[in-house]
Amino acid sequence: MTTPVPLESGPPQAGPPPGGTGPGPGFVAAVIETSALTQRYPGAVTALDQLSVRVGPGITGLVGANGAGKSTLIKILLGLLTPTSGRVAVLGLDCARDGERIRARCGYMPEHDCLPPDVTATEFVTHLGRMSGLPPTAAKERAAESLRHVGLYEERYRQIGTYSTGMKQRVKLAQALVGDPQLLLLDEPTIGLDPAGRAAMLDLVSRIGTEFGISILVSSHLLGEIEQICDHLVVIDGGRLLRSDSMTSFTQVSQVLLIEVDEGTAELEAELAARGLRPRPQERALLVQIVSAETCDLVRDAVADLGLPLNRLEQRRRRVEELFRDDADPSAAEKEGAA
Amino acid sequence: MTTHSGPPAAGVGVIHDIGYRHYQGPRLGRAAIIRALGWHSLRSAFGIGRGAKAKIIPVITFAIMCLPAVVNAIGMAQGGKQIVYYDTYVFQLRVFVMIIFVAAQAPELVSRDLRSHVLPLYFSRPLRRLDYPLAKLGAFILACLILLEIPLLLLYLGMISQAHGGGAIWDQTRALIPGLLVGLAWAVLLASLGLALASLSGRRAYATGSIAICFFLSWALAALLRGVTQTGGPGVAGAGARLSGLVSPFTVLDGLRQWLGGTSPTPLPPPGDLGPLYGVMFVLLLAAAAGGLAVRYRKAGVLQ
Repeated sequence: MTTPVPLESGPPQAGPPPGGTGPGPGFVAAVIETSALTQRYPGAVTALDQLSVRVGPGITGLVGANGAGKSTLIKILLGLLTPTSGRVAVLGLDCARDGERIRARCGYMPEHDCLPPDVTATEFVTHLGRMSGLPPTAAKERAAESLRHVGLYEERYRQIGTYSTGMKQRVKLAQALVGDPQLLLLDEPTIGLDPAGRAAMLDLVSRIGTEFGISILVSSHLLGEIEQICDHLVVIDGGRLLRSDSMTSFTQVSQVLLIEVDEGTAELEAELAARGLRPRPQERALLVQIVSAETCDLVRDAVADLGLPLNRLEQRRRRVEELFRDDADPSAAEKEGAA
Repeated sequence: MTTHSGPPAAGVGVIHDIGYRHYQGPRLGRAAIIRALGWHSLRSAFGIGRGAKAKIIPVITFAIMCLPAVVNAIGMAQGGKQIVYYDTYVFQLRVFVMIIFVAAQAPELVSRDLRSHVLPLYFSRPLRRLDYPLAKLGAFILACLILLEIPLLLLYLGMISQAHGGGAIWDQTRALIPGLLVGLAWAVLLASLGLALASLSGRRAYATGSIAICFFLSWALAALLRGVTQTGGPGVAGAGARLSGLVSPFTVLDGLRQWLGGTSPTPLPPPGDLGPLYGVMFVLLLAAAAGGLAVRYRKAGVLQ
């Protein structure tokens, strides 16, 4: 069930989505489904290349480096871009035919700044509520409510130009929420925020996903932060699907021991290799795959025998970043871990 | 920045307490959304819903535009003659007021959204791509109509208040209708040109400048060409003078009016048998402006 979705196209497996963490029991329909999706821009730029992926309910992270095709995928999902080839369905509707109906059920938070400075948050979100098809009174009520949900109270009567970056991000989220969408597409919601702002935004996204019952596709190039809140992760690189899996399967199987010594890193590396481990240097530290219960003992003994000043020894959960750093190794490591 | 890290945590707590309520009410269709956007744009064309500063130019231009009608009414009340006519109103004044109004307010409708990159938010809603410029254009034509036609109606009221007998009122009404149609032609052409030019730039100052320069320079150029080519005495305009009006939207509008039978005099000599050219030019300008606007919004916005 947790095997990586293969790159080749073909109908995704039927049945409940991998991970099975959706909010509603019996809600098995895919929220997003693409098959062999390809998008080429003029000048032979391929933004998406034969992307086939299935996303279930819950919070899904869309991860990739800058230029991996995240924003392109989101725009196709909204029917704003017509893909070169391939099929896409969102909430069971075909993107090519039912763009309007999809957009009526989706909220979109763009990556870039998209707020006029000289109106108040209330006016702005109310207007966009109208643009989502809400009648005037309902738009006002929903605007007040969604601004409250994102944590803007009295500030909402101030002009947006006076807001901090964190408050602006909240307004962007509130306008996505105002139409009571079934699916939120959030493009880099934490961009430009300081650590505290990031944490607050991630917490908010997590609450919207779990308590409001709204499915979320959230893109980020910062894997470390997004993995905290997702049920499911889709990793794309260069427009291709690298992996699509539930969060637990990403982090469980690959445990890594990080060893940092003040000096003698090279000697330790040689010693560990001699003892049958396969240390990988990372900056000033060494990474060792935990293959058995004895691995930790082996490392401890090696450091003690060499008499090195041990600075740090920690069992790391594998970061998804390592998918990019070394394509071949993680899969090999997984097999070892599973064995 | 750090001052905001406190309140969010508290806010999140409140979310938990109150809970999220799904919206159960009706959802309006595309046509209603376009109407809502048009209404919103019409209000912003007059600075309604914005600060006091945004209302200065609409109010002043409107007041100036109404002035001739008021003056005419006062003159009529004191037994004077009609000095302002429905089909031309006060031509030069109208040109200047419309240049100011369109140059100042067209960017208000389109450049602001471009500047602040709001378009992706519109296009991620049920609207189709061309719905946005359509709503904006409709709203701005209506705004220009208000500016052009209400003074005409004031003029009409002033005239009929002095008119004696049903026949006189009927005469005034019959004169008013072509005047309203001329106003419509002005509103449609100037609003389209203004929005098309404004949509080229997200910087308000540039947008205003480009509209003012295009309108004003072409107007000055038309006057210059007319002066250079006018050889004979008054009333004997050569082909050059009669063609000179084709370079400016205002003189195109006036040539169109004269070709279609407008008789009140303006600086532009009657185009005579060259009249159809003014009709063609009107259609071409309108098509170019509307087409330009459509092309602009087919591309703009989403990919930024």
